Amino acid sequence: MTNVIPSPETVVVISAFALIYMLVLLKKTLQGKFDLYDFLMLSMVAIIPAGFTLFPRLAYLVSHLTGVAFPFVVMFGALFLVVFAFMHNMTARLHRLERQNCALIQEQSLLALELKAKESSEPGG
Amino acid sequence: MGMGLGLGMGLGMGLTDTCGSGVAAAQAAAPRILLVIPCFNEEASIGGVLSEIAATGCHYHTLVVDDGSSDATSEVASCRSPVARLAQNLGIGGAVQTGIKYAARQNFDFCVQIDGDGQHDPRAVETLLNAYRKQPANITIGSRFIEHEGFCSTRMRRAGIRLIVLALNSLFSGGRITDPTSGMRLLDRSAIAFFAKVYPTDFPEPISLAWAMRAGLTVSEVPVEMRARETGVSSIDGLKSASYMVRVLGYILLARLVRPR
Repeated sequence: MTNVIPSPETVVVISAFALIYMLVLLKKTLQGKFDLYDFLMLSMVAIIPAGFTLFPRLAYLVSHLTGVAFPFVVMFGALFLVVFAFMHNMTARLHRLERQNCALIQEQSLLALELKAKESSEPGG
Repeated sequence: MGMGLGLGMGLGMGLTDTCGSGVAAAQAAAPRILLVIPCFNEEASIGGVLSEIAATGCHYHTLVVDDGSSDATSEVASCRSPVARLAQNLGIGGAVQTGIKYAARQNFDFCVQIDGDGQHDPRAVETLLNAYRKQPANITIGSRFIEHEGFCSTRMRRAGIRLIVLALNSLFSGGRITDPTSGMRLLDRSAIAFFAKVYPTDFPEPISLAWAMRAGLTVSEVPVEMRARETGVSSIDGLKSASYMVRVLGYILLARLVRPR
């Protein structure tokens, strides 16, 4: 099969998307809405297609090595992998936060109860 | 413990007699028993439950855990008992664990869960204690299905409970169970220490048993009579029942494979 090189228009569009998207992510990271891990994982949506477009020979090499006919399929496979890794970590993080939230609410209620008991046991309390 | 408020705040009369009056020496040796009453919008029933506990004449300590109620549950309960108010609704698991953590910190010998909706008869606590005396187990469950008296839930739900029973009894050793969804249970010090660390938030009654038996705790049962709830409706109805079953069975299987942390 003949290797198809992306047209200059494709390169421009994908590069522009990657650049704008990365700038948006960077802004949100600097604002503290994302941490560095989120920035890295989310930026893969821009980096992977840009990598496949800007380095087509590398894309064909990767698809050849993985035994997949089209670099397009490999690209989506890589994106799915990133998304699953991100979701996996996010689920674990959410679960941990949920447990911490629950423990904090319990602690707060028990401390308030202890405080009330102390106040009522103090003379004049 | 500094919580000398409300119902029966004195010490009990020893494991053989926690009710009635007695001499100071017997009180000094008596076990300290905490009744944990989780509540969510139970202003209509909590007063009655606390009155019933007082009417038993037993020296129980009580803790009402208000699970983020939007009604006057806390106000009604605080006249008669200490109340732990959760800032957010955590669900029955989070509320019960709050009470268990309190029992662990205040060094109680036993902790008994009593529902705030009036389903549980506080007189049955003495039955649980008597059962513990005869056959000490880390968890003593008040079961509706040993003698099939009182309110026994709907037929569909009983069928589901049978499936859970089958799963628990075949996957774990440590006791034969007939009523894994009963909320009325007595915990001894080991169970209190265990559940203060880990307690399931979803479907806590059957899953907590699986976790406990996986950790080597023992479970026994004693027949008790339960009543239909005085107020409110069950959160597990219709299609939710099927989802409940699948998830509970999944959790039980998971507990068999992985020790809870």
